[in-house]
Amino acid sequence: MDTSSPAVFVNAELLKMHVGKRVRTVLQVARNEGGVMIGQSTDGQQLTVKGGDPKGFPLSHYVEVIGIADGNQSIRAEICTDFGERFDAVSYNGLCQLANGKYKNLFL
Amino acid sequence: MLSADQFAGAPLFTGGAFLPSQSIDSSISPTKSQIRTPNTLIPMTAKQIIEAYHSSEDKPAIIVDGIELANVKLVGLVMNMMERDTEVSFTLDDGTGRIDFRRWANESSDTGDTAFIQNGIYVKVHGHLRGFQGKRHALAFSVQLLTDFNDIVLHFLECIHIHLGHIRVKVLPFFEGDTARMQMNINIGQSFSNGREYLAPFPNQFLAHSTMDGSGKDVYSLVLKMFQEPAMLASEHGLHVDELFRRLGLPKNQIMEAINYLVDVGHIYSTVDEYHFKSANNC
Repeated sequence: MDTSSPAVFVNAELLKMHVGKRVRTVLQVARNEGGVMIGQSTDGQQLTVKGGDPKGFPLSHYVEVIGIADGNQSIRAEICTDFGERFDAVSYNGLCQLANGKYKNLFL
Repeated sequence: MLSADQFAGAPLFTGGAFLPSQSIDSSISPTKSQIRTPNTLIPMTAKQIIEAYHSSEDKPAIIVDGIELANVKLVGLVMNMMERDTEVSFTLDDGTGRIDFRRWANESSDTGDTAFIQNGIYVKVHGHLRGFQGKRHALAFSVQLLTDFNDIVLHFLECIHIHLGHIRVKVLPFFEGDTARMQMNINIGQSFSNGREYLAPFPNQFLAHSTMDGSGKDVYSLVLKMFQEPAMLASEHGLHVDELFRRLGLPKNQIMEAINYLVDVGHIYSTVDEYHFKSANNC
């Protein structure tokens, strides 16, 4: 796993375009099932995160996951950070679109 | 929500304080022969800095988007932290790249400040970029623990904002009677939520608008042409906006925008009331 490469800002929709690459996204935790975290992306779709903290994160907290996208809706986590309960998912979603669109050259 | 205290209500590109070129006081740095240290703090992504290093290898200063860099602000994760007697060094990974930072601990109070720095935490770093000759590293003079993670989103949006401010376009002056489209050196626009694209106005420079009807005629040219007609030039009160709306058949808000712009640059002026305008040029 190349941990030195940049991580693309993605939401669920953009994740599909970066399968196999290092990505970062924020999801709101819906449930934890033995090492697998399932939550809602900033654009309202379900995402699955494997390999995160086995204890899981508190429900309805926003968690940033940096890892490798290994499917259309799933990420193999390297680093997870609890962003707490107060996080602006709408702004993050907008940033994902800007960072992959017009201003891609600043990020990747 | 994004902390909006710095940007609330301020239209993009007209805010002075955050665009570095406006913060340099030219009265204290008059000659080019003097070495000027830019006194600005610019939010950047690691990728921008790394690219700037590559392109500035044989030059005396690091340039990004045409602006000389000195102090930068980054937000990212701490990695590879190492503590020594006189300094703490770490790598900051902001997701776009990695920059090595060093923070000197000169006083005992400094070691207290850096005590919270550990691998895997999010921090906001204010640093000074250093040296070339193949080595790139930076001095961190402020490292703060990130508590509100919306700051991450805010930081990257600021990077985009500053970047746009630096690459803003200069367009050639608008010539009366010239019905051709305005020439632009570089076409950079910003989309707003209603899908239109245009550059925000700022001092001493001109607006560029994309045409809405696709016929190749600029709204401004059309409006100005109306005012330039001999009958209008002769009329004391000039042209009423309703007459303009009727004759052009374009959306009212576009026409009003064109009028406001032409007033701003001095091509037309209002006469008896706010609805009558006349061309300022009588030839």
